[in-house]
Amino acid sequence: MNGPEKPREVIGGPPPFLGTWRRVYTAVAAYLVLLITAFYLFTRFFNR
Amino acid sequence: MRTLDWCVLIGSVVLIIAYGLWRARHSGTVNQYLLADKTMPWYAMALSIMATQASAITFISTTGQAYVDGMRFVQFYFGLPLAMILISAFAVPVFHRAKVYTAYEYLEQRFDAKTRALVSVIFLIQRGLAVGVALYAPAIVLTVIMGWPDQWTTVIMGSLVVLYTTMGGIKAVTWTDFQQMVIMFVGLFIALGMAIWMLPQGVGLADALRLAGAAGRLNAVVTSFDWQDRYNVWSGLLGGMFLALAYFGCDQSQVQRYLTGKSITQSRLSLLFNAVAKIPMQFFILLTGALVFVFYIYEKPPLLFHQHDLKLVERMPAYGEVNRQFENAFVEQRRAAQSGIDEGNWDGYQTAVKNVERVRAEANRMAKSKGGAGNDTNYVFLSFVMKYLPAGVVGLILAAIFAAAMSTISAEVNSLATVSVIDIYQRHWVRDASDRHYVNAARAATVFWGGYAIFTAGFGRSLGSLIEAVNMLGSLFYGGLLGVFLLAFFFPRVKGTAAFAGVIAGEAAIFAAHLFTSISFLWFNVIGCVVVVTVGLLLSCSGGWSSERAHE
Repeated sequence: MNGPEKPREVIGGPPPFLGTWRRVYTAVAAYLVLLITAFYLFTRFFNR
Repeated sequence: MRTLDWCVLIGSVVLIIAYGLWRARHSGTVNQYLLADKTMPWYAMALSIMATQASAITFISTTGQAYVDGMRFVQFYFGLPLAMILISAFAVPVFHRAKVYTAYEYLEQRFDAKTRALVSVIFLIQRGLAVGVALYAPAIVLTVIMGWPDQWTTVIMGSLVVLYTTMGGIKAVTWTDFQQMVIMFVGLFIALGMAIWMLPQGVGLADALRLAGAAGRLNAVVTSFDWQDRYNVWSGLLGGMFLALAYFGCDQSQVQRYLTGKSITQSRLSLLFNAVAKIPMQFFILLTGALVFVFYIYEKPPLLFHQHDLKLVERMPAYGEVNRQFENAFVEQRRAAQSGIDEGNWDGYQTAVKNVERVRAEANRMAKSKGGAGNDTNYVFLSFVMKYLPAGVVGLILAAIFAAAMSTISAEVNSLATVSVIDIYQRHWVRDASDRHYVNAARAATVFWGGYAIFTAGFGRSLGSLIEAVNMLGSLFYGGLLGVFLLAFFFPRVKGTAAFAGVIAGEAAIFAAHLFTSISFLWFNVIGCVVVVTVGLLLSCSGGWSSERAHE
């Protein structure tokens, strides 16, 4: 009777691609820039 | 609805629930019931996170929003990938290493019990208010389809969710979310495909995009800045990032998803999947709404999509004149659209579109003056689905809408129960009972919050665009939550009482901004967060507040 058991600790580690998390985060940020640029061009092309 | 549609709808719902319960058959301890024993792979968490956020409102209201206002709502999600990066880098390892059931449990480790209690109560209020709205959204579906009272729909839907959430805990929630998200993807692409396929002969996709664009429905990026404008690229990047930071980093309904990961890497990957997939998904949902707009250039829509409002207007003396104006405006819009495609005369088309909008706005005003909703945004997409899509497809899209609703509600009810038991009941009332006792308490809390959601769902009726209502509710509280977690992660000198006072001040600032200014709600998160951090730091610097822990 001493409350719920504590969750077990889980480990960290490198990402499965690109080697480091810093590179993965940079890739995601670059993807966002590309996406917004593509949407901007989409808006400019079709809005009259 | 046809028999095939009913088979697809009922079959999908039953299969999803059965599968979720089968995957959750070993959930006898608190650890298993609330955290799946930390065994979840990244793809299950990723789709669960996505499904939790993508409620029925996403399908029903977002498509309608594109119909009436264009695609600029997509900018609301521009800050999400940035938030996911920050949460992956900072929050995920901290929460996992703290070995907590809830994000707010960590606040006691970092600050004190009163800060944990305050933030837990803020979460319970905010999420408790939103869960009713999330449950009300699919009730609109059956109101339109069957004419059933929406109260019945909320009771049936809420009861199903409570059943599998109570029995299976987070494993059932996560694996049903997984299935539900798959159905949502299928439903989304079929809806988009049908919207393209049903364009009239002679009008290709490129023509449809030109028509939607000329009518201002493809405004995916708005670069002008305005404090009062809800959706532009700046409010999306900054305000959206703060809202996403608060929602994914501080809201237990999301934190609990990635706390179930079998490693920090798996939890991070689940968040980064959302960083990559969420914006395109919203883009295609909005594009579907924009294409439905084009479809209704050639196929005459009803004056109002909300059948109850339409009946109110039809009984008014001015209806004949308004309806005549609408028919003329529709015919002129169709003619002007063809002229735009053939001759590039877009000015005449834009004038015609504005004329249709003006008449519809007048009809909405008339409905509102007679006690109607005065807003038919939430009914546009469903009217299109029910009237024009073939048998089987209707059932599948409705299954996607129901899947979206159930995934959101189950995660919200599950997290509300978790915080109620771990942060309130176990922390303040019954500290040292058996593991089994807390599992039963969590099951009872799930039933309570499910019942509460069903009871409060009726309030959704008066909220206009439901997607905005939910985001608005969140923005009233998220700034305070985010601010206190920023203090916890990045300002080690700040202690409990300063953080507590900061949260109170931040919430006061948000409510003042809401009540006394016209600032758009997306900025409330920024305002609240900045006030919490500033007050927390000022009080810590003013002496005494930063060293209290040493005296405890």
